[in-house]
Amino acid sequence: MVRYGMVIDLNRCIGCRSCAVVCKMVNSVPTGTWWQRVETVGSKEHMVPTGEYPNLSEVFLPVPCMHCENPPCVKVCPVGATWKREDGLVLVDFERCIGCRYCLTACPYGVRQFNWQDADENIKQGFEVAGFEENWYKPSDYKYGYPIDHRTKDGRLVYTKTRPRGVVEKCTFCVQFVDQGIAPACVRGCPGNARVFGDLDDPNSEISKVLKDRSTFRLLEDLGTEPKVFYIPPARKEGRGGVNYEKKV
Amino acid sequence: MKRKFDLAIAVLAVLALIGIVAWIMQLQRGLILTNMRNPFTWGLYIAMWAFYVGTAAGGLVVSSAIYIFGVKQLKPIAPVASVTAFIFAVAAMLMALPDIGRPDRLLNLFIYPNFKSLILWDFIILSTYAILSAIYTFVLLRPKIAASGISIPFVGTVMKRDMTAEEIQRLEKESERRAKILAPIALPFAILIHTVTAWVLATQLSRPWWYGGLLAPTFIAAALTAGPAVVILASLIVYGYRKDLQDAYRLLAKVSAFSVVALLFMYYNDFFVRQWWDAGREFDTIMLVFRDYLAIHAVEIIFMLLGTFILATRYNSVGGLVAGSLAVNIGILAHRYLLIPPAYNIIPLRVPVVLGIESFEWSYPIAVGDIRGTLMNPQPVFTAYWNYVPSLIEIAITIGVFAIISLVLLGMLRALPVYPQGSQ
Ligand code: SF4
Ligand code: SF4
Repeated sequence: MVRYGMVIDLNRCIGCRSCAVVCKMVNSVPTGTWWQRVETVGSKEHMVPTGEYPNLSEVFLPVPCMHCENPPCVKVCPVGATWKREDGLVLVDFERCIGCRYCLTACPYGVRQFNWQDADENIKQGFEVAGFEENWYKPSDYKYGYPIDHRTKDGRLVYTKTRPRGVVEKCTFCVQFVDQGIAPACVRGCPGNARVFGDLDDPNSEISKVLKDRSTFRLLEDLGTEPKVFYIPPARKEGRGGVNYEKKV
Repeated sequence: MKRKFDLAIAVLAVLALIGIVAWIMQLQRGLILTNMRNPFTWGLYIAMWAFYVGTAAGGLVVSSAIYIFGVKQLKPIAPVASVTAFIFAVAAMLMALPDIGRPDRLLNLFIYPNFKSLILWDFIILSTYAILSAIYTFVLLRPKIAASGISIPFVGTVMKRDMTAEEIQRLEKESERRAKILAPIALPFAILIHTVTAWVLATQLSRPWWYGGLLAPTFIAAALTAGPAVVILASLIVYGYRKDLQDAYRLLAKVSAFSVVALLFMYYNDFFVRQWWDAGREFDTIMLVFRDYLAIHAVEIIFMLLGTFILATRYNSVGGLVAGSLAVNIGILAHRYLLIPPAYNIIPLRVPVVLGIESFEWSYPIAVGDIRGTLMNPQPVFTAYWNYVPSLIEIAITIGVFAIISLVLLGMLRALPVYPQGSQ
């Protein structure tokens, strides 16, 4: 059996948010919605270290959907619109979701997002806020994103560029690419090569080797959701920006 | 009296109309018209849903008291009580409807049910309860319907039959017998609607404000507070304050007053346990209540206590009964509203940050779901705190649902021959 997972090396992440942007472009994610977030741990603003000089820390933490093995979002969905596929991907069926948002309440990682209005309206609103003139943007024109609708083998719509209003969406591990044997966009788009994606059940896959060699942690381990996104903790660096350990007592 | 009634109907009709218009607007534009967003996904609608589930308790409390525990003095108000049970169970389901993003797909609940989901179970239990209450009302009223019929406006009186005194007696016996069978069947559902509604929330380990075994008992206590108070109000409207109903009112007032005490005990018991540790998510929910929602908390506690006091001492007067019942219901309403904000404003994903010898927990912000602000004054897209205040549309729809439900309730109390013999 294939069981997909991801490792993110926090030593390599430079906080550039390329993964978030490439995800947004490729998955046609509406304005104001982000399947992939990258934040500076402990800080109000991204890219601002937390703490007081010289005792500072700046760790970037990317958070996609964890594709939990024991996903609460799947259990709460009254109509089975969210389900875990055999390969471990947790997906949302755009044609079945009734928009009750119980799953947003259940997911501990805050990765689920609701389409509060038409995606076109969202984009228009974004342009307006950015100070563009009225009608600058015509919704019928070009729309960014992977152009082809994607359905799973049993015919369930898991990716479409024209997002229906009133349904939930979230990171799919780029199911439209994974089904073609291609890694998710964030893995390919990361300039620091911080991400490894692959089959957790195959002992020879790259991800299995990384997991064997490196010590990793998962987020909110104590909730028992068993995320399939693993993190390699950042090592503390000596010298500038870090802590100078006293060599003598 | 007649004029007052007509005026009430007119006002309710206008409110219902405003609510329907607001609902249509929301259907056209989407839930963007509410003030809920991704960090804060349930709001006023869900609070009201939980509130109505509680108010639906009254009917079967009354009927089970009569037929299972043999409290005969409640018998005259049994039909009114079961009508309120029916109407508020329907109200709860109606209230959840505007919260659904795709009401056009509601049939999916039947086509693809996921029996692990407690929302599905809540829907099943609530509709069963509504149906049972409707049947129960009909069984109770059967003899009177046969005697005086149902008066539907513009249609006239239907289902009236000419009967001999003997026949009426037979019908009355039969109704009694059937009610006795129905009461023990309905009672478990009367308990389950509150329990399962609480479980929808209490099972979520990601929401410490709800999580745990104590939520369902507090839901039952809240229901036993609101339910009887609603029955008191409804039967005061129908029968007025009559000598022969004094016992019934006193009993209901006592049940309601005692339940407030039980509720407050469980509530503050939980507060105490949570605050003692001085840290952690559970502790933070309590601090949030005292820091940001103190006003609502004050309303909740003051009105509950005030209502209990009035109900426990002034159950012998109309003024006391009305004031007490209204006060406890306002208290419970605030209690229900407070169910929501501390659940969402403690972000579940908190990352520990260790800085030298100091450490704290940092909430990972959530994407809001739309772009707000202006070019010069942009609002953050990611936020770990959402200052939720219901939008006008949400308030209009909520009041509209209340108006529709009140209209139907008043209409039913009018149409059905709930009046005891000899009055009208
Ligand atoms: S991270 Fe959230 S959305 Fe993703 S599988 Fe887990 S519970 Fe579901
Ligand atoms: S919002 Fe959609 S996916 Fe989420 S629980 Fe409801 S029906 Fe399921």
